Amino acid sequence: MAAGKGKPVAAAAAGAPAGYTAVPVKLSEKQQSPHYLYVKEHKVREGTDNTYPPHRTLFVLNIPPYCTKACLSRLFSCCSSVQSVNVCEKPGPREKPEASKSKFFNLKTVPGFRVAYVVFKNPAGIQAAKSLSLQGPLVISSESHPVKTGIRKWIASYAAAVVDPAELKAEVDTFMQAYDQKIAEEEAKEEEEEGVPDEEGWVKVTRKGRRPGLPRTEAASLRVLEREKRKRARKELLNFYAWQHRETKRENIAQLRKKFEEDKQRIALMRAQRKFRPY
Amino acid sequence: MKLEPRAAAGGGGERVFDNAEGDMETEEENQDLPKKGKAQGRKRASAPEGVVKQVKLSRADLYKLPTNEELNQLKETENLFHSSLLRLQIEELLKEVKLKEKKKQKIDAFLHEINTLLSAVPETLETDLANQSWLPKDVKVPFLQVPSSVKGKFRFLPPATVTVVGSYLLGTCIKPEINVDLAVTMPRAILQDKDNLNQRYHRKRALYLAHIAQHLSKEKLFGSVRFTYMNSNHLKPILLLQPQGKDEKLVTVRLYACPAPGFFKPSRLYPSKNNVRTAWFLEQGSPGEGAAESPTPHYNNSILCDTGLESNLLFLAGAGADFPGMRDGVALLKVWLHQRELGKGLGCLNGFMASMLVVYLLAKHKISQGMSGYQVLRSVLQFLATSDLSATGISLSKDADSSLPTLADFHQAFEVVFVDPSGLVNLCADMTASKYKQVQFEAKRSMEVLDDRTVDGFQLLLMTPKPLIRTFDHVFHLKHVSKLQGACKKMQLLNELMDRGGNYVAAALPFVTSLLARGLAGRVLLLTHSLPQAPQWPISAEPPKHKDAGHLSFGLLLTPEFATSILEKGPEADRPEAAEFRKFWGEKSELRRFQDGAICEAVVWGAETMCQKRLIPEQIVKHLLCLHADIPESSICYTGAVLESVIRVGREPAGTGEEAMVSIVRSYDDLSRKLWNLEGLPLMVTAVQGTHPTLRYTDVFPPTPMKPDYSYHMRIKDKESLLPLAEKPCPAYIAPMKVVCHMEGSGQWPQDKEAIKRVKAAFHLRLAELLSQQHQLLCRPVATHTDVYKDGYVFRLQVAYHREPHILKEVVTPEGMLKYRDTEESQQLELETLHLPYLTSSLHGLQQQHPAFSGTSRLAKRWVRAQLLSDSLSDECVDLLAASLFLHPGPFTPPSSPQVGFLRFLHLLMAFDWKNSPLIVNLNADLKDADYTEIRNEFVAARLHLPVMFIATPRDKRSSVWTKERPSAQILQRLLVLALESLRALEEQLTDPLGSQDVKMVFRPPLDIYDVLIHLNAKQIPRHLEGVDRPAKSFSRGMLKSDAPVKTLIFPVVGYDPVQCYLQELREAFGDLALFFYDSHGGEVIGVLWKPSSFEPQPFKASNMKGRMMASLSCEELVTVPNVEAILEDFEILGEGLVRSVEARTEKWTI
Repeated sequence: MAAGKGKPVAAAAAGAPAGYTAVPVKLSEKQQSPHYLYVKEHKVREGTDNTYPPHRTLFVLNIPPYCTKACLSRLFSCCSSVQSVNVCEKPGPREKPEASKSKFFNLKTVPGFRVAYVVFKNPAGIQAAKSLSLQGPLVISSESHPVKTGIRKWIASYAAAVVDPAELKAEVDTFMQAYDQKIAEEEAKEEEEEGVPDEEGWVKVTRKGRRPGLPRTEAASLRVLEREKRKRARKELLNFYAWQHRETKRENIAQLRKKFEEDKQRIALMRAQRKFRPY
Repeated sequence: MKLEPRAAAGGGGERVFDNAEGDMETEEENQDLPKKGKAQGRKRASAPEGVVKQVKLSRADLYKLPTNEELNQLKETENLFHSSLLRLQIEELLKEVKLKEKKKQKIDAFLHEINTLLSAVPETLETDLANQSWLPKDVKVPFLQVPSSVKGKFRFLPPATVTVVGSYLLGTCIKPEINVDLAVTMPRAILQDKDNLNQRYHRKRALYLAHIAQHLSKEKLFGSVRFTYMNSNHLKPILLLQPQGKDEKLVTVRLYACPAPGFFKPSRLYPSKNNVRTAWFLEQGSPGEGAAESPTPHYNNSILCDTGLESNLLFLAGAGADFPGMRDGVALLKVWLHQRELGKGLGCLNGFMASMLVVYLLAKHKISQGMSGYQVLRSVLQFLATSDLSATGISLSKDADSSLPTLADFHQAFEVVFVDPSGLVNLCADMTASKYKQVQFEAKRSMEVLDDRTVDGFQLLLMTPKPLIRTFDHVFHLKHVSKLQGACKKMQLLNELMDRGGNYVAAALPFVTSLLARGLAGRVLLLTHSLPQAPQWPISAEPPKHKDAGHLSFGLLLTPEFATSILEKGPEADRPEAAEFRKFWGEKSELRRFQDGAICEAVVWGAETMCQKRLIPEQIVKHLLCLHADIPESSICYTGAVLESVIRVGREPAGTGEEAMVSIVRSYDDLSRKLWNLEGLPLMVTAVQGTHPTLRYTDVFPPTPMKPDYSYHMRIKDKESLLPLAEKPCPAYIAPMKVVCHMEGSGQWPQDKEAIKRVKAAFHLRLAELLSQQHQLLCRPVATHTDVYKDGYVFRLQVAYHREPHILKEVVTPEGMLKYRDTEESQQLELETLHLPYLTSSLHGLQQQHPAFSGTSRLAKRWVRAQLLSDSLSDECVDLLAASLFLHPGPFTPPSSPQVGFLRFLHLLMAFDWKNSPLIVNLNADLKDADYTEIRNEFVAARLHLPVMFIATPRDKRSSVWTKERPSAQILQRLLVLALESLRALEEQLTDPLGSQDVKMVFRPPLDIYDVLIHLNAKQIPRHLEGVDRPAKSFSRGMLKSDAPVKTLIFPVVGYDPVQCYLQELREAFGDLALFFYDSHGGEVIGVLWKPSSFEPQPFKASNMKGRMMASLSCEELVTVPNVEAILEDFEILGEGLVRSVEARTEKWTI
């Protein structure tokens, strides 16, 4: 495991890109070589993104896979009390949080190495976090808060995947009720607007009315175009004029030539690959 | 030297196409050639990808006025060839195999020198034929002189004439073995009156050659002077001369000694005449009393052959004079024969016979002189396919001399009859009927290929080798041919032995094959044997004995319907044939009473499982050979199912999984019936489709019924489910078998993707409820599926709504236009609910037609997984590859044994031109000719955007869904290399009966390429017992015996494989840095390969810091490198409890 021991690894221990501070972190005391979290204050240009409060948000890079949101919050709580932690796959503005978090649907976990935005309650937390680099490596899994990995973790997640049917049913039912209600409202609204001109006098054609318009889909418009084309083709006379006859002959030869060229190219290629040695 | 012919070939190729442009160029041609060659080279260099692109011709080029020549060329191509591609291909092939003009000059010079040397060989004094003391010690007579005493006198005199005969002059001589045949006529003075008797002529011939050899070997001109037998016939040695120095491999000159013309009286050598006396052959003192000597047709024929060498040449030359297509046609035929291993050895169909056949067809007006080489080939194949020379022979002889033997006489003496122009010689004398049947069979198959416009006939017919082991379903070897000596004795073949000059292999072969053919009867389509090949030997060595011909191999093509039947029903007991039947089968035959009341003689073979049934032909072969030919079982090496040990499940008596799969399918059918008839569902079930590989018979190890042992597991409170315990060995793996359950379309379905998910979840809940209520099945629903525990199996029901993929695709543009665009989610769903059920049902159907499909596909999968590549290649892709072997068997027949199927799978992987062709798998024969063209054209047009491995099926013509993501170009490359190596090693093992026959060797992956090896703890590998080299003992996995009297009420642990969880975590965390390879069938090691690109120091980027750290390369510059040491420790952390050790092979990489 002495890979590149002589290389600049040791020197890089405290090395960090401009603006960042490297914080060593490891799972347990047993682990010998730490990973490095790269932290800096989260700053963005004025007015572009304000999902995170300025001066209180710490941007953390390179979080190892076994380090969960809870762990992060615990690790940084030694600096200052942590208001929130948002872990995501890559840096960027926060995605819109799902309206209703479901226990059963759209379970998305962010795997592997991640980034996080840690919001402290107090701006002082940022400086304190940066100074962590001077101490020894942070330890993720402690006796009081063990982190499960390997077999234990998989057994736990297997257990978690077994759901209670009643609970699931209840959730589905509430969702569907809300959905049905929403649809009903929309329909009612459409019904109401049916045939009623707006302020400029336009009437919206819906599928509900007496004369439903064509659906505005790509397929439908393509179909219309196709029909047009076919109609035109039907009207045209083929092989009527002498020039048309000539044209088809010419076209035929051109096709043959093209095919011939293609074959020639293919053969040249095969010859290059020595495909003609039978044995 | 190497470059030159290519450049010339390139120029030559251009010449053909360019002649439309005018003839003025011809003068400049010589200067022109090298230039064009160069241009070609440059063009090649500029297109390094080697991918065929669409040709873009300018309008002017496309529509210019055609010249007469061009029109002629186009027309000719249309008339004489299938397509212009075929024409070009054949031209290229001929260029490749034919002799270059320059070499011809060298050969001519060499021949002249030989001629002068031959006339200078000194004479010797006359001695007794048996007294060979005059011959120096350093040359041995190339003839097995048994019995040694023989009458007659011999002296050497320089040859009367030396003439070149055979293919060289006709221009049909092709690579790889350029042979020039020289006929050396022995002067009349050497021969005596009764030389036709008792091998006297043959021995004189041998002595004559020995003397020549001794003198020529002193000459510096020759690189090697050796002997061999002509067409491996022990009576006819010939002398081989090769030039000195770098031209050694250029040509082999073969010296034939032949008698002075007109010396032998033909009437003495008719097939019905005897020329070998029994008394002499058995070395009895006085001739036997009165007993009529039986005819010796093969012996006679071997003398007659020598008399007609020159006249036959003239005959062929006369026919080929104004027939350029004949030369090409014969060359193509020779390639065709060579690829089928028919052109060499004792009883072959060699080039000379092929030429004679062409001339015969010309005489019969089946070929005309205007035909092209391709048409000649086609006509000859057509003739071979439709005629039967073993029943109605043909003759080239024109004179109606009534004294000549008739065809009937020939048929009496020989199995296959093709008489030469003299009316005396049977050209096919040594050919056995079964060999001829093979030729016929091959011709038929080839005609089918030629008539099929959807395949590349050129490739299949002329470029694909068909070695015995890859062609025949079962192959067995006779380890020691000397055992045939005993067979001759047992079968009383003295006359045949005399006729063949003591060659017991040749004597016994026809009888052995006809014996086997009778015994195997309906079980085989074709039975054939390899041709005994005579070695070459130096002149100072003793000639090889008959047993030195190596082993003899037999190939069987099985008929899938009958090959596995365990019963051989004979005649009724009171019929006279019954005795014969009993005699034929020996003790195996017993009287049995059948259902219809008949009491018949019958043989019943012991076989219970499918894998044993497949080996019934082995039982038959061994039994018959032992019974009738005294060949013990130990000298037969039968390779029909040696590979099957890697897909065998459980302990010894268990089969290879066919029975297990049938029982699963039965259970599944029952479940689907129950689903159909479920009462209380709000919508109807419209279809139930299984998608698990077992339901298409391609799961390597089908699930076995399981009953969990409660005490071994933990229980989840209130949820009726078992949980594995961390401290115990991981419980046995229960694979959930996916079943898609399509629900009726209805207005009640919501048209919103989130809502559909909820409705589906509601269905899963409802299904679970109803199944347990109405059928007392144990069910466990979750949002995405319902697991059903039934008969010890777990089925995973997944509800599908046919419009869901559509809804997932919907995109509304800002203008309010509704568009459909593929999304990842929609594609995944289409795969699961559309493509996979289709594939499963198609392959299920295929299995019903071809019982060997299952085994083939499973062996192939087992191999891919054993090479640790299963995650780099989808299972469905392997299934399709295996299916293509059955649907498009190419020059072969569809495999009828898993072994041959697997060999062809490897060959397909290796030989297919993945870069430039789509593999089209015509499932259910839904594709028509036009579709093929369409697929090919679209493929060429879009090649660069398509996956590296492109497999088209009737429902998937454009996108190759199963190979879209995997394999990558690198993995494909690795796969091809592995396939090539495995095929080579495996064929070597299978064709060498004396070797170790260790076929598992190709299932053991080479581990030396990996950078890191993660060794796993066998305790936590649930499928540990499926390993290639099955571990002697494993762990108890917490399952009760399937007949344990307990009713399972708690849901077992399903689909829990710690190694797969581990791999998933590894890939998620380190997928950017490394590749992980694992054999999902009980592999104990994970191979890790660093990605070279990620190991290069990179500048810092916030989005690309996964598992990396900073390092200063030079003083100022900071770059990022992977934090390897921490990562290696992560490997252990992530797999805590599973990983035994992480072995980093640091010598292989540096950061």
